[in-house]
Amino acid sequence: MANVALIGNPNTGKTTLFNSLTDKYAFVGNWTGVTVEKKVGTLKNSDIQIVDLPGAYSLNPLTKDEAVVTNYLLTNRPDLILNITNASQLKRNLLLTIEVLERGLPVILILNMIDDLRRSGQSYDLDLISHRLGCQVATTNARGHKGINALRQQILNYQNISSQPLQLDYSGMLQQAIRQATEALQNDFDYDATTARWLTIEFINQSKAVREYASAKGLTPLLSQAPYYDAQKFADQIYENRLDFIEKLLADARQSVTSGGQPEVTSKIDKVVTNPILGLPIFAGIFYLMFKISFEWVGTPLSNLLDWFLSVPVSNTVNHFLIQVGAMAPLRSLVVNGIIAGVGGVLAFIPQIFTLFACISLLEDSGYMARAALVTDRLMQLIGLNGKSFIPLIIGFGCNVTGIMAARTIEQPKERLVTTLIMPFMSCSARLPIYGLVVAAFFPKHQALIVLSIYFLGIFVALLVAKFYQLLFHVKERSVFIIELPEYHLPRLDIIWHGTWDKGKGFIKKAGTIIFAGTVLIWLLSSFGPSGFVTDSTKSFAAVLGHALVPFFKPIGIAEWQAISALFTGVLAKEVITSSMMVMFHTSNKAVLIAALSQFMTPVAAYSMMIFVLLYIPCFATLATIKQETGSTKWMLFSVVMSLAIAYVTSFIVFQVGSLLF
Amino acid sequence: MINQQYTLNSFNCLNKPTASRLHNMGLCEGCPIKVIQRYPFHGPVIIENNHQRIGIRYRDFAALTGVEA
Amino acid sequence: MQVLVNVLLVAAIIALAVFIIFRTFRKVKTGGKCAACDYDCELKKIKDKHDHLMAK
Repeated sequence: MANVALIGNPNTGKTTLFNSLTDKYAFVGNWTGVTVEKKVGTLKNSDIQIVDLPGAYSLNPLTKDEAVVTNYLLTNRPDLILNITNASQLKRNLLLTIEVLERGLPVILILNMIDDLRRSGQSYDLDLISHRLGCQVATTNARGHKGINALRQQILNYQNISSQPLQLDYSGMLQQAIRQATEALQNDFDYDATTARWLTIEFINQSKAVREYASAKGLTPLLSQAPYYDAQKFADQIYENRLDFIEKLLADARQSVTSGGQPEVTSKIDKVVTNPILGLPIFAGIFYLMFKISFEWVGTPLSNLLDWFLSVPVSNTVNHFLIQVGAMAPLRSLVVNGIIAGVGGVLAFIPQIFTLFACISLLEDSGYMARAALVTDRLMQLIGLNGKSFIPLIIGFGCNVTGIMAARTIEQPKERLVTTLIMPFMSCSARLPIYGLVVAAFFPKHQALIVLSIYFLGIFVALLVAKFYQLLFHVKERSVFIIELPEYHLPRLDIIWHGTWDKGKGFIKKAGTIIFAGTVLIWLLSSFGPSGFVTDSTKSFAAVLGHALVPFFKPIGIAEWQAISALFTGVLAKEVITSSMMVMFHTSNKAVLIAALSQFMTPVAAYSMMIFVLLYIPCFATLATIKQETGSTKWMLFSVVMSLAIAYVTSFIVFQVGSLLF
Repeated sequence: MINQQYTLNSFNCLNKPTASRLHNMGLCEGCPIKVIQRYPFHGPVIIENNHQRIGIRYRDFAALTGVEA
Repeated sequence: MQVLVNVLLVAAIIALAVFIIFRTFRKVKTGGKCAACDYDCELKKIKDKHDHLMAK
């Protein structure tokens, strides 16, 4: 089975091309760093595997993301490399191409977004480029599905593509240093000539990943010379030599130049959304609209319909069926009041969650995210982060785990750590069902606004905590903030649908696994008590546990044992809080629970409970990811303690002050 | 100040990752750039070079062009 | 008889739930990230296949 690797700069349409070439799709977003781990698919109608690597500007990795690419080339030998470039920005894209070509594997250079280039009145002599670089060249427009079939034919023919390593002429001393080290590597370590030369050049070029590799393998010919290479500033020379080569190549290959420039549309939109004064209000407005759509205009009406369907026809039919086949009370209670009520109660929120995901996917696909990062950078600087942290945080609205993964695109390790640690305060979609319940019960007139306020509170707490961490960790490193602003594109329906489905299907799957399990667990706790099976749940274990903790929760307004026990199950997955409430209030209908809730609590207490749910201990998938990405259990425990303390203090203040005011 | 042309003078005052990222994006000493947008309170600056738009911090912009901070 | 079937069914559902909780805990313990995520992506399948071959 053949392996093909897809390598290219961010914002070149890499993932879109991957999706057109393969059967299985991967998610795309119009901002840097969507592909956080490599993705694999199979070329349509073949057994050729295509690996989609994260976007990288060079093989000298600044981010964890880029390190994936360099390490891939260090440890794998793909049969073919597809180097995708943005045809309008060849100058900078070819810098990476040279590094890839020097690796000496068969390469097809793809000039993507070729339509944009033509529109700007330019074209290149492809034969000349192909000849000088020694690789095949193809042109595509992945978004418009142009050139894909021709490219697929080229890939199927991969065995006939010869590999000619590019032998760039580096100047004087540098060339000599490369030759010496290459020979030593060949003789002492059995590398083939091309690999040895590539390793040497990348080593001299101060690629962190290659230097680590050399240390690990003990490549003394390189290691011993490192101080000399650095003192001579060979890395700068390599860069200049490469740039000269590219400029000459492009000057020779450029065929017709008329006055070009940025297409009109992008400039016009940017005039408004990146406006120095209006930028932030527009950003807030877009979010308000998103929640308005999810909670008032589209999501909630659909959700009510689904809830009715699950709690009336489905629940009744199953109940009748169980009575007919002779099921006894405990089994009926488990299935109807436990599983259907609990899991169904969470599933009823699918419309809201999917609507919100569709909105986020739309923002990602259009190219707005990079602008959002830009307009928020000044604010983020105040707390020692940068605008780039903002994108992972927004991804965290979907699921904190993916948000933490997206934080890999941040260059500074400390900024990455802080972003990871504040991620749990971003209100993930699993917390939506509980907000949905509370706003329907207590704030029916202002649903979108109340939910938005919880989201912004989460952001606010996150920023505050980030500031605290900045002081705690003494972040003094000068941070990096360079962000590319890609062209806007017209959103494509299929890309948005794929993005929504990709984010949402985990939720549906969880309903069948952990939410189901949590529901059964809570049913057990609320149906059995010290005296065995009980029909009155006030005598159950859950009630005993809940009652015992009332003194602790009373100051934040939560005085019902049902709510307290439900909070415990939330550590499994935050959706389970909602299903637990359903089970413990013995109802299969959202409307009944809503009515029951409003008798138990005041609106202030309900709001305080939402805050507690927002901020308290992250679910354990998130905890595990924090442990993985920070590489220590210490940070994970730290996150548990911090979030619990912050949640308690915040809801305490809100409840006490709120009770005085209202 | 907007739509004004600048030339990148020096990469020396930048920190290493910033300089190398800008290099990777094809920006080098002597490259011409155009300022598209700037933000108040020394917020980021959007520059255009070679048909690409990039947002950078004011401090880096000032160091690159030698404009008084 | 009816009682037995009822008890068995309840026990089976509970056992399944307990199994899922334990499996999730184990998955999380062996490493977060991919392990903690509920989605079987292509990469995961390939990795499983690879681990399987290596074990042989």
